[in-house]
Amino acid sequence: MRWNGRTRCALVCICFVLLFSAFSFRLVYLQLVKHDEYAGLAAEKHVYKQPIYAERGVITDANGEILAHNIPVEIVVADTSHLTKEKVAEAVALLSQELKLDPDELSEKLGSDRHYIVLKRDMPTSAADALRTKLREQDLHGIYFEHDAARLYPNGSMLCHVIGFTDFDHKGIQGVEASMDEYLRGQDGYRYIEHDRAGQEIVLYRGQERAARDGYQVHLGIDLNLQNIVENEIDAAVREYSPQKATIILMRPQTGEILAMANRPAFDLNQRNTAKPEQMKNRAVIDMMEPGSTFKIVTAAAALNEKKVRPDTTIFCENGVWNYGGRTLHDHRPYGELSVQNILVKSSNIGAAKLALSLGDQKFYEYIRRFGFGERTGVELPGEINGTIRPPQNWSKISITRIPMGHEVAVTPLQMTVAMATIANGGKLVTPRVVKSITTAEGKTVSEFSPSVVRQVILPETAKQIGNALRGVVSDRGTAAAAAVPGFVIAGKTGTAQKVDPHGGYERGKYVVSFIGFLPADHPEFVGLVVLDDAKTSKPELNYGGLVAGPIFSRIAEKAARYLDLAPQPDLIKPTAPGRVASTGASRH
Amino acid sequence: MRRSTQLNRLNAASLARWVVMTALLAVAGLSYVYLTLQLHWLGDRQKALETTLAGLRKQNDVANVQIAALTSRSALQRRLKEGYLKMVPITDQNIVRLAPIHPAPEENAIRPVANDQVGK
Repeated sequence: MRWNGRTRCALVCICFVLLFSAFSFRLVYLQLVKHDEYAGLAAEKHVYKQPIYAERGVITDANGEILAHNIPVEIVVADTSHLTKEKVAEAVALLSQELKLDPDELSEKLGSDRHYIVLKRDMPTSAADALRTKLREQDLHGIYFEHDAARLYPNGSMLCHVIGFTDFDHKGIQGVEASMDEYLRGQDGYRYIEHDRAGQEIVLYRGQERAARDGYQVHLGIDLNLQNIVENEIDAAVREYSPQKATIILMRPQTGEILAMANRPAFDLNQRNTAKPEQMKNRAVIDMMEPGSTFKIVTAAAALNEKKVRPDTTIFCENGVWNYGGRTLHDHRPYGELSVQNILVKSSNIGAAKLALSLGDQKFYEYIRRFGFGERTGVELPGEINGTIRPPQNWSKISITRIPMGHEVAVTPLQMTVAMATIANGGKLVTPRVVKSITTAEGKTVSEFSPSVVRQVILPETAKQIGNALRGVVSDRGTAAAAAVPGFVIAGKTGTAQKVDPHGGYERGKYVVSFIGFLPADHPEFVGLVVLDDAKTSKPELNYGGLVAGPIFSRIAEKAARYLDLAPQPDLIKPTAPGRVASTGASRH
Repeated sequence: MRRSTQLNRLNAASLARWVVMTALLAVAGLSYVYLTLQLHWLGDRQKALETTLAGLRKQNDVANVQIAALTSRSALQRRLKEGYLKMVPITDQNIVRLAPIHPAPEENAIRPVANDQVGK
């Protein structure tokens, strides 16, 4: 082969062709085959998924008054790799003063080699701005600020058990904050951004973006004006009787809307870190109590509904002492013949026991369950319990005489309120509701909670008969004359149950006193329950539902009726007795 | 002589075409650079406006919180107790009752339940 010019030229061309072909293949390999892999690696260097935080929804009362909302705050964090050793002492001096932190603890934190140390949460934006300026002035690096929002409750302890609160991660952990968390928390968005070497975003290269959806607003059915009345009265009751626990509930019987709910002890929602677990319990739904005589409404309603008796049927009440099943049952006063109506008015234990006996174990149990006892009411509050209703096969021989007067059963205050609301609502059991509606921040309705009738428990006629009987309770001949409200006919029932000892049996001299009633008796606007656990009265004989809880109900009902503009019946307005004034400091009866 | 003259002769039309094309390319390139810089500038401006907007929103939120805190029931009650606010009770003569007394409804009648007395 001769290496003439033409051959050499061809060889060089072939080499170039091979070289550029190799480059081309490599280019195609990198750009097409390995594109995703290298694009991903490049993106890791420059592209950052920036979260766009959704704002938690606001909680309001029935009138739009704000109960829970957010305040912008900042989190102070430190990256010690950006803080030079010489500057640590300077940073500790400044931050311990500004953030009110222990200098030794801070020194230890900043002396470590961690990249992310949370120094302070919930710092007000104004304070954060001031600190930012000082850091800049002192040329301190490695201290950063992250935007956050703190939950704020303008009314402090008012309605604390219903509203609940969130944890530091903005997750609802109690009350409506927990039960409606799904709606309140919204959905965080994101945006892919690229940043330059200085860490500044290059807006031109913004990538895919999804806007945040702020949390929905939750509107409660609770009316803060009524709640305020209830809170003032429960505080007055605590001052007067120093009960271990207290609960008051107001509910609209036709719809199941809870209008007010208060428990004691309570706590300040803005100071929840200092609250004890006992203060945080919503006793209206998580505490069980023996209802005592208020439970007689269930017994009487069952017997009347089954046509075993009529309201005027008389029953011999054994003159106050009755031996049954080897045990003696007492009435607080000796009664002879009492009509069914008067069994409720006089609150005869023996009469109630005989009514239950006329029904039999199984039928009586069925009615207890039909009134909603032994199952959750379905209210939008977390932690609600079922209560304890034993099936008839677990009853003792005397259970049929004890359960009718509210012993051997454990119910929640809300279950008892719902049962009374069933009487007030013509025999229809409705699901109690705390939440009225859910809307977007712009006011568009997302969900509306309409009244939900669970079942027709008793006939409307029976409900009316019980209602008529209960009017007699709040009269001079009944057990709750002190629960009367001038100008209104009230139907109600007192309850006084000996306190159950957690170690077995009953505690001597300790009672759970209650009153439950509705107003006006003809067309009830609200049902109210007052329960005081272990109230301290000046004399033990004054510790009765009608004497302790009755007057509290009366004061609440009177103020609530005024607020709801319920017109009083002029013929029922009597001059107020000196000791019976509508104030928080009313005397006992 | 004739041959060299023929070789060096400029084709004016072709030159003009090249000049125009080059000029157009130059303008396109400069426009691209200018517009890219504009986009960067607008991006920075957008970022600055977003920051301002976020700041204003934050101020608004803080103001709303302050309003809610100052007008909350507990705050008003505290001010009432401290004597900063005063309430005058409404006398019965000044109350005009608008709601008539409700008649007792039928057993199964559907009853209105909305509380129309509280300004809703």
